Amino acid sequence: MATESVKYVAPETDTKTSSKVFPRPGQNTTGIVNWLTTIDHKKIGLMYGLASLSFLLIGGLEALLIRTQLWSHNMEVLSNRQYNQMFTMHGTTMVFLVIMPMSAAFFNYLMPLQIGARDVAFPRMNTLSLWCFIAGGIILNLSWFFTGGAPAIGWFGYAPLTDNRFAEVLMDMGPDFWIFSLQVLGIASLLASFNFITTIINMRAPGMTMMRMPLFTWMTLFVSFLLILALPAIAIALAELMFDRSYGTNFFDFLEGGKPHLWQHLFWIFGHPEVYILILPAMGIVSEIIPVFSRKPLFGYGLIVFSGAIIGFMGFAVWSHHMFTTGMGIVATSAFSILTMLIAIPTGVKIFNWIGTMWGGRIRFDPPMLFALGFITMFMIGGFTGIMHSSVPIDAQHQDTYFVVAHFHYVLIGGALFGLFAGFYFWLPKITGKMMNKSLGKFVFTLMFIGFNLTFFPMHYLGMIGQPRRTHTYNLGHGFETWNQIATIGSFILGIGVFIGFLQFVHSFCSKKLKPAGKNPWDARTLEWTLSSPVKEHNFARTPIIKARDQAWENNYGPPENHSEKVPLDDHGVHMPDRSWTPLLSGIGLLTMVLGLLFHLSLDQSGEVVRDYTVAIVGGVIFILGVILWAVEGGGGYHLFPKEEDE
Amino acid sequence: MHPRHIPRIVLSFFLFIFLFGGCSRVDHKQSALDPKGLVAQSQYDIFILSVWITIFLFCAVGGCLLYVLLKYRAKNQEEAMEIPSQSHGNSKIESFLILASTVILVILAVPTLQGIVLMNKVPDPDDEATLTRLNLDREQIEGAITVNVTGKRYFWVFEYPQFGIVTANELVFPVSKAIRINLTSEDVIHSFWLPKLAGKMDLMPGHENFMWFIADQEKILSRTDRDGNPYKTDVPTAMPAVFDGSMRDAVFAKQDFNATFEPVGGVFYGQCAEFCGNSHAYMSFRGLAQTDEDFGLWVERLQTAQNPNLKPSKWNSSSEYPKGSIVIAKDESLIDENSEREYRAVTDVKKGNEPSFSSGAWEKLHSDDYEIGKTIFESAQCGQCHALDRTGIGSKGPNLTLFGLRTSLAAGWMRNDRPNLIKWLQNSQDIKFGNLMWNGEGVDDKHGVRSFQPIPIDEVNDSPLKKEEKRLLNEEKKVRVNQLVTYLLEQS
Repeated sequence: MATESVKYVAPETDTKTSSKVFPRPGQNTTGIVNWLTTIDHKKIGLMYGLASLSFLLIGGLEALLIRTQLWSHNMEVLSNRQYNQMFTMHGTTMVFLVIMPMSAAFFNYLMPLQIGARDVAFPRMNTLSLWCFIAGGIILNLSWFFTGGAPAIGWFGYAPLTDNRFAEVLMDMGPDFWIFSLQVLGIASLLASFNFITTIINMRAPGMTMMRMPLFTWMTLFVSFLLILALPAIAIALAELMFDRSYGTNFFDFLEGGKPHLWQHLFWIFGHPEVYILILPAMGIVSEIIPVFSRKPLFGYGLIVFSGAIIGFMGFAVWSHHMFTTGMGIVATSAFSILTMLIAIPTGVKIFNWIGTMWGGRIRFDPPMLFALGFITMFMIGGFTGIMHSSVPIDAQHQDTYFVVAHFHYVLIGGALFGLFAGFYFWLPKITGKMMNKSLGKFVFTLMFIGFNLTFFPMHYLGMIGQPRRTHTYNLGHGFETWNQIATIGSFILGIGVFIGFLQFVHSFCSKKLKPAGKNPWDARTLEWTLSSPVKEHNFARTPIIKARDQAWENNYGPPENHSEKVPLDDHGVHMPDRSWTPLLSGIGLLTMVLGLLFHLSLDQSGEVVRDYTVAIVGGVIFILGVILWAVEGGGGYHLFPKEEDE
Repeated sequence: MHPRHIPRIVLSFFLFIFLFGGCSRVDHKQSALDPKGLVAQSQYDIFILSVWITIFLFCAVGGCLLYVLLKYRAKNQEEAMEIPSQSHGNSKIESFLILASTVILVILAVPTLQGIVLMNKVPDPDDEATLTRLNLDREQIEGAITVNVTGKRYFWVFEYPQFGIVTANELVFPVSKAIRINLTSEDVIHSFWLPKLAGKMDLMPGHENFMWFIADQEKILSRTDRDGNPYKTDVPTAMPAVFDGSMRDAVFAKQDFNATFEPVGGVFYGQCAEFCGNSHAYMSFRGLAQTDEDFGLWVERLQTAQNPNLKPSKWNSSSEYPKGSIVIAKDESLIDENSEREYRAVTDVKKGNEPSFSSGAWEKLHSDDYEIGKTIFESAQCGQCHALDRTGIGSKGPNLTLFGLRTSLAAGWMRNDRPNLIKWLQNSQDIKFGNLMWNGEGVDDKHGVRSFQPIPIDEVNDSPLKKEEKRLLNEEKKVRVNQLVTYLLEQS
């Protein structure tokens, strides 16, 4: 660590930990302990990214099995129950374990850099969020190995199919794993969201006014608000379902006066904002990339920010468009239909503004830009079919057919995943310090683009000619075969593309041969590009004073009064916190508690049901112990004295 | 070819397919692109409107994007390093675009709202204006038929409250009348989807939903030949009668599950569209359109079959029987001294003339196989779940009244003929895994329902004697299942 002339000795008073059991690992921690105890937002972002990419491979494998089963009529690659488990796990994995955490990876790594912060507001909470996410992923995928196997209830888990009464395997545990996994993942998202909101509101560098924030940071803020407002709905629904399943309550049991409709409302009040939780980060990424590769500032910055807010807000008012065929009556369906159409306007605004940004620019077609353009076109198609579904009479035919499958994959792969891949190609040079091979990137894009369209475009037609979704097979004579075969071939091309992309990302971390990236390889515009690649442990050597919206660009090309300045160096240096065991300990406690709750039921010799909560209580105690140690372990930390340019 | 051309080429290719796919009229069994009724037609029209709107938007926005990419692409390294004017917004253009998109949405919103009302409400027969606009007659609405549809894992119950009849999996309806459908479920959520007639509506447990449809006779009669020229067929060809079995014959003659579909205009394919469990994919159904007359005859037929007062009674020595009377009496030759069968009087029969074949006064109403099949139906306790009377949603399995007239088996999954029915009865789980027809597996190997399944012969370990024994037993099982199938298929 380069240090300036040491004119100051860090105070000893607040560096010593008061906990002897789990002392905070200090400055020179390396190896596995460094990763397990880190509270650095960059390392957490990396782990989020790697874990979500791994889950992407698992979810993708499930998708390929689904596509293989649908190759032709009456195929027997999977049994119908296995198929139902596959699409349930595919959906749950892709939504909760891939797109959401992958967005969180970018939030974690980049948001503090974009606003000039040292770290997020609550670094240890950030770590706990990561471990909760990992625990949720583990719990969900553990379900394969226990009674009944993985859940076969769909990612939406409609009551009363989730009721024990309708379980198709005796003592089916799949839905229980699903419930607890989603609850734990919800905790992960809540922790991260509160953290990001606090960080963005309070920890911006001087001069970084809200309206100077990069678009990606804005989207981080919106998504965090959406999460904390949407997640309680599903947390309640899942808790009710857990009570129905484990303790015989009747929230959703129609025979005892429960309402299956209730589940659908609760699920979609969460589920529709969730759609925007998935897409807004990608929109943020694309809003960063298009200006850079057009060498122009974002067209209508204010309008894009505002339309993001409107989309987020209206996202809470359209949930019932998922329920047009459940019999809500003329008035409700009409109202939700019109509201859904209205949401197309702010979405359209974003597309207009991206095109406006490119207008008059100097457009370069590097891999991030190709993915961003792929995002715009594919998301546009997904948006258009979305407008179709907003019309109830059209939806009466499309609902639960392959047309809908095509629609939301255009939004979630063509939209979200392409956006996230654009983000990887854009920011990995910043993260690894090395440029990736552009030709390979373009090849990956070509494979993914062709494979994706081959897979999902024919599904529009398949839906229209009558193929229902969530069916493990179809009968001969419907004329579905040809289009399904095209889709299956496409899905393998897409799969190969994603896999090569994954290898390229991993390779760029390990390889020593790749060209160094330098601080700003793309001549990009936002604050993170003023830092060295990879970013130093302490981020900014001295807090920047922000003078303009696109600070990195202004520093290079703007008038002198727009150049950023630095907060003068004081004798305090950069205070770095010590690492901590407590988030991991709390996470393990939570995992143990959930496993204890999952397996608390057993039958004794006489066939009586026995409830044993020992493991759950032990887990709870570990969790509480972790939190207490967390509170009392003390600040700790050390000071770095980087030179002004050492950032 | 430069990589950046690829997306454009691929896109235009797909746009072409989309246009082509949207407009072509390939006759797919279950296609929403081939509406044959008022409600489905309205849904189709709005869909096509939305397709044109979105194609217009795609061309407009996509065209702009293309123009921008072509015009402003950096042609070389120097150009890529130039600094263009840093303009960052134009509120006039932005406001104009917002207004324009609002207008486009209004174009879609108006027919949407009209469509919502149409789907949810049968037009008022006194509302002349609406009837004229929709080209409907007053009688078509006033004579509406109500059907209560109940979804069950994994089949459908169709009750006709106006006629006091109930059937399963095949919805017979008159082509000229509005059909009101009340939907509910007994277990999980299902969804009733009849694409060519009326979109879909969910069947929610503990809740009743409504939808309606009316078929269009003109559309059912019109066909296109292989060259795409339209022509008309007559009513008997397009809508053969269900009640006398001509529909079944016509479907079997024309439609093979192992060949490309050839349309019988009156047959509509439907499907459960809400995930309901293991056998969800197998939960389909049929709608069979009929002329008013044929529908009336079918109702009458079903009413007769389901009327307990019209069932044959036991022979009574103190009654006289006119020619054609049907009675139940003993026939020791059938199985044993307790077996009974149905006799029909050949001539007027006096008191005390006990039915037998020797007297010449009585004849068999059914074959021996039918009568033995009936005893198997009873001894295997099929009646525990399958009713042959008016028992509707109360019964666990599909109602089997007039089963021999049905075109399909296993909720529309396969053709209802002898080989398929034998396979189904031997082990329905092999065909439709997860269906709830109990096959006794693992619970009671002695039970009657297990008596149709062939015993596997172990070619290696079984002794020749044992093999022979098993073969004989399997032969016996085959005979029994054939007798049961005879009984079922002769329910007509």
